[in-house]
Amino acid sequence: MHAGKWYSPGVPSSAPAELRPETGVAVELRRIMLAFGAKAVLRDLDLRLEAGRIHALIGPPAVGKSATLKLMAGLLRPDGGEVHVLGQRIDTLAERALGPVRARMGMLFQNNALFDVSVGENVAFPLRRGDASLSEAAIAERVAERLAKVALPGLETRQPRDLSGGQKKRVGLARATVADVALVLYDEPTAGLDPVTSQKIYDLVKGEQRATGGTAVVVSSDVGGVLTIADHVVMLHEGRVVFEGTAHDARASPIPVVHQFVHGTLEGPL
Amino acid sequence: MSPGARGLALPAFLGRQALALLTQIGGLALLARDLGRAARPESGGLDRVELLRHLYRMGVRSVPVVAATAAFTGGIMVLQAAPFVEQFGAKDFVGFFATFVTFRELGPLLIGLIFNGRVGANNTAELATMVVTEQVDGLRALAIDPVSYLVLPRVVAMTLTMVALVVLGDAVALLGALGVAHVLLDVTFAQFLDSALSRLESWDLLVGLLKALLFGVGIALASCFYGLRVRGGAPGVGRAVNASVVASAAGIFITDYLSTFLLP
Repeated sequence: MHAGKWYSPGVPSSAPAELRPETGVAVELRRIMLAFGAKAVLRDLDLRLEAGRIHALIGPPAVGKSATLKLMAGLLRPDGGEVHVLGQRIDTLAERALGPVRARMGMLFQNNALFDVSVGENVAFPLRRGDASLSEAAIAERVAERLAKVALPGLETRQPRDLSGGQKKRVGLARATVADVALVLYDEPTAGLDPVTSQKIYDLVKGEQRATGGTAVVVSSDVGGVLTIADHVVMLHEGRVVFEGTAHDARASPIPVVHQFVHGTLEGPL
Repeated sequence: MSPGARGLALPAFLGRQALALLTQIGGLALLARDLGRAARPESGGLDRVELLRHLYRMGVRSVPVVAATAAFTGGIMVLQAAPFVEQFGAKDFVGFFATFVTFRELGPLLIGLIFNGRVGANNTAELATMVVTEQVDGLRALAIDPVSYLVLPRVVAMTLTMVALVVLGDAVALLGALGVAHVLLDVTFAQFLDSALSRLESWDLLVGLLKALLFGVGIALASCFYGLRVRGGAPGVGRAVNASVVASAAGIFITDYLSTFLLP
């Protein structure tokens, strides 16, 4: 795979500043129903995520956190309900019509989803997406700047297979944010990482959001870590939202399932 | 299980199998439709760099195994026929017989099966791995159409490569046949060539190339289809490769039968 020529169904070169919703609602899910075969995952899920904040989506395993994130990216279609992202309803859009919305968002995948090309080419992918105005020199400069930002300067020519788990996460993070997007979706950004590296990743997520003023949605099973950066916490359980509030509220919540999950106690309904 | 339910078990099984088959045929048809859309210039057209990369990987690197198989096949063909050729004094027919069988049947069929095992299986495994490691979702999240970027160059490369490999394989197989005919039957190059050219028609070569084209398209579509619809992580990749190779092999034989029947 290379990063030469792109399929670009009318994707704008970069998100116009006036389209970036630093205020208002970045994501809204209405009465979402989602099932995988006979297994219902999300049941009448309602969720509103304000723009310009870091939202943590937490919950026990297999509760539909990653599926919710993929709904926001248009990678999954709900069986019922509406998905509104950056001011546009996307669940009714054809795959090709999702291009302009996706051009305004970035996503870090749980498995990093790095392509079999160099680190530099991986990070450059979103910049080449339908954009004929950026010169190769400008792309290289932006990639170098972004790699330096995630503490991987000069690694452009390395292959992803030669990187450690933490380095791969940072490359994925650099790729997700390189195009100056309005919404960044992080799926388990610290999965499989040690506590120190995890905290570095969280600091990068927070630093990026504070620098751009965009919206970040972080799905994480690492409750202790993600609560240190979240402005808004949402907990899912049995396909629904069982808690919404600040990190402080989450820690102090008397709801048994929230209390048990946030504090990691063995006794409780989970 | 009640007697009534037992009586319905076989029809239910057959119904499920028929539905699964129809689902796969429908999926292949939808993929072909998406390929047609992706090939339009307004959709970005064909990525030439990706095409060249796949032509090298799938074509150039298949040459040794195809050449070796073809050389031995050509030789074995004459080896098997040699006792009868001597018995009936049919040396004048050796060149025609070897060329006719190679062009019309053995060349496309054997090279199709080798191509399916080497390139088709590899292609399915690669695409399936990309799916389970979320790379395909990664492309979609970047507003890049996986059919346009991943599938179209592979289908074009596999089709072109299959035809080119059959041309090469036919030539090598005939060299193998000529070599064995010369050693065992004392047939000269001129005799071999004259026997082939005096009886062979250009249609015989075209039928073989048409078969190669159909096999190439079939293997390419099936290998991409099974790769992209993988489910279930790493074990799913193995199942996808297995399904792709089996379906393509069956498709090769069915297509071969029908094309032989329809193209006299």
